[in-house]
Amino acid sequence: MRSTVEANVPVPVLKDAAKPGQPADKEPAQTQDRVGPSREEEEGTAEYAAEVRNLRMKFPGTPDLLFRDLSLNIRRGEKVLLLGPSGCGKSTLLQVLGGVIPRVTEVPLKAELLQVPDSAGLVFQDPDTQFCMPYVDEELAFVLENLAVPAEDMRPRIGQALRQVGLELPDPHVPIGSLSQGMKQRLALASVLLLEPDVLLLDEPSALLDPEGRRTIWDAVRRAAGERTVIIVEHRIEEVLDWVDRVVLFRGDGSILADGQAAEVFARCRDRMREYGIWHPEAWNEAYGEPAGEAALAQPGAYRAGGVLEPEEAAAPGTGPARGRSAAAPVHPAAESAAALPLLRLENFRVLRGGKSVCAVQSAAVLPGDLIALTGPNGAGKSSLLLGLMGLLAHEGSCEYAGSRPSGRRAMREAAAKHAAFVFQNPEFQFVTNRVLDEVAFTLRSEAESALNASHSGAFARWFPRRRPRPDAGAEALIAAQASACLDRFGLGGYAERHPYLLSLGQKRRLSVASAIVSDKPLVLLDEPTFGQDARNAFAILDLCERLRASGHAVLMITHEMEIAERLATQIWKIEDGALISAESTGRSPTAALRLSKEEPS
Amino acid sequence: MREFFVPTRINWLHRANPAVKLPLFILLFGVTVLTHRIDASFYLACVFLALLFLASGYPLWKTALLASGFALAFASASLTMILFGKGSEVWWSLGPISISKESFYRGLHLGFRSIAFGCQGLLFVLTTSSTGLFYALMQRLKLSPKYAYSFMASLRLMPMALDELRIRRDALSVRGAGRGSSASLLRLPELYALPLLAQSIRRAQRTAVAMEVKRFDAGSRRTYYYSSPITRNDGAAFLVLAGAAAAALLLAHLLPLFALGDMRMNP
Repeated sequence: MRSTVEANVPVPVLKDAAKPGQPADKEPAQTQDRVGPSREEEEGTAEYAAEVRNLRMKFPGTPDLLFRDLSLNIRRGEKVLLLGPSGCGKSTLLQVLGGVIPRVTEVPLKAELLQVPDSAGLVFQDPDTQFCMPYVDEELAFVLENLAVPAEDMRPRIGQALRQVGLELPDPHVPIGSLSQGMKQRLALASVLLLEPDVLLLDEPSALLDPEGRRTIWDAVRRAAGERTVIIVEHRIEEVLDWVDRVVLFRGDGSILADGQAAEVFARCRDRMREYGIWHPEAWNEAYGEPAGEAALAQPGAYRAGGVLEPEEAAAPGTGPARGRSAAAPVHPAAESAAALPLLRLENFRVLRGGKSVCAVQSAAVLPGDLIALTGPNGAGKSSLLLGLMGLLAHEGSCEYAGSRPSGRRAMREAAAKHAAFVFQNPEFQFVTNRVLDEVAFTLRSEAESALNASHSGAFARWFPRRRPRPDAGAEALIAAQASACLDRFGLGGYAERHPYLLSLGQKRRLSVASAIVSDKPLVLLDEPTFGQDARNAFAILDLCERLRASGHAVLMITHEMEIAERLATQIWKIEDGALISAESTGRSPTAALRLSKEEPS
Repeated sequence: MREFFVPTRINWLHRANPAVKLPLFILLFGVTVLTHRIDASFYLACVFLALLFLASGYPLWKTALLASGFALAFASASLTMILFGKGSEVWWSLGPISISKESFYRGLHLGFRSIAFGCQGLLFVLTTSSTGLFYALMQRLKLSPKYAYSFMASLRLMPMALDELRIRRDALSVRGAGRGSSASLLRLPELYALPLLAQSIRRAQRTAVAMEVKRFDAGSRRTYYYSSPITRNDGAAFLVLAGAAAAALLLAHLLPLFALGDMRMNP
């Protein structure tokens, strides 16, 4: 049933590390806090589904060992959650336990005892990269083919696996591309269930899913797990916390900080969890305090300053049903009283893709100091709206940027470039240079160039551009100074010389925001800025947005996170089926004071 | 895009085993390449154009749209030869351009052959699914599953790469990169290649690991979800394709339009 690999792949890089035989090495490098019942180590190994003793490994090209004498036993049938900060090696350990390392991916490792289950099923984070076939049934059949199951037995087993994960398809011959991300993850789960694994390993299966997808995948896991051993690596633990038997919390260096029952570990190491950016159920409350809603809701009149919210509408900010009135004429609370000119005003605005309207907005306005949460199901047209606003997609109707109304796509793009900054979901796609400092300076430089160019902007100049006038040395120095000041502000000062691709995930995200807003554009558009980020990075980004908002910018962000909408947004725009169906004010005014998360961004 | 390439009618040619169809079409390519008489190449072009419209299983307008590219292939293949080819019987000349009888007919001959070639290729592509082709090659022609599944997986990754290309274009345009001076034109490949390749390599690696986790092992025995039998359809495909080629050659013999000799000699 099980294979035992002893002292696997001894590698020269490890030879300077202390030899396993030395007495000093017998003791664990780090003391381990054992909360909960101590494990009966003397019991036979048959008790364990997986066992690792004194594991050391090292990725080529990195200076440090990833694990230094890590020992971990996982008993049969146990549901274990591995937690820790990004980069602590949880996912790597999961791949070791799943037999991927070193069988598939060769990584130098050494262990006194490494016993991994014979049949393990691994579900990965990214829903798009786990399949090799175009159709659902073919993908599941691929697994059965690998197991040499006779062709005539395949269809019933495919149907059974799909039912197990709650993916009821009348005909499984459906293109995988037509499934939602959440359905794809359930398909990935179904395909590993076909392996009939003793151990189910889940590597952040819900990190890239929207709330609905998260709920369904965990439902499916619970249903399908049964008596199996389940080992989970996850940053968002609300959905799994009440289900796991045991939580193992890792330190940043890959050693075990705590190991025990969920509630105990949670109670003991709450501060550490916050520091590690783990999305625990209280994360939002810890960062922003109890929802302001409760207090404010007691007297709905309190924020009727703008005179537009009806009491019962105010009673349920963000969660109330869409109201026709507010969709037809969303009046901003401050629009009537304050003289603030809207940064952006849309009337009968439609974004077109291939001649068809993909997102229609009857009427909407963005004021300085607004933080607007753009919500709605996937594929409803949220991203298209942002692309339309930037002039990257064709549009009909009127769109006013700070009073000027560009006509045509080109004029729109120029107006948008002047007034709005756009932050894409994948920061890498936005990088254009090879140095972090240049990345920020690039925006400033091209801005300076286009200002110089503005003098001759006729049709002739458009087709026959003169040599681009270069900013002179003085301007260049100013740009460099501005750019490095901006990097400091975003906590990237120490990385100015680095290649943008070599930053960590959170740093990349911050850099993409920094390079977008360095030239002080009044409107910032963001496409799911907190998506797939750990809590620490997410709060750091939200603090950035909130600072921008409080300094008189407007922020328009696509998000699935209702907590953002409820705690920070001044307006919630809901988009469904290609139309803005409601634009409601949450009661938070654009002049509201800064509300930062309690954690300092590193 | 995916819907565009779903045939509306399924016929014998779709049902024929790709492992039989592929060698048949390779033979046809051979026949086309080795045709040296203009009458034969003309009839080959006509017959396979007709077969393309009749047997591809696609609506007329789609087939016409796809086949319209052949006009370009015809023009590019024939014009150069017509305008610049050598020949003794010169009809018209101006500077380096000289149109002679020989060059004119050789040009047409080349054009007809490229149409025939294109029709045969398109007919095969339109009537064969990639999954079916690789399953047949694995089961009938002993192609290693390693290559077959890598190809099928990479086909799945292509649309994602295209999407990313679009996003990168938008992102560059938002940031104002990649336009203007010629120096930035030269940087274009770098601007696109780095993020797209980085992303694609990561994705391919993840897919490969996921496949191995599902116990994909190129060496071990495996079963197949789709069987790939030899059926009557294969006989039909063989007869029709061979018949078409024979008919073209026969017509060239019986009803020669040009009545010229071997194009490699003096016609």
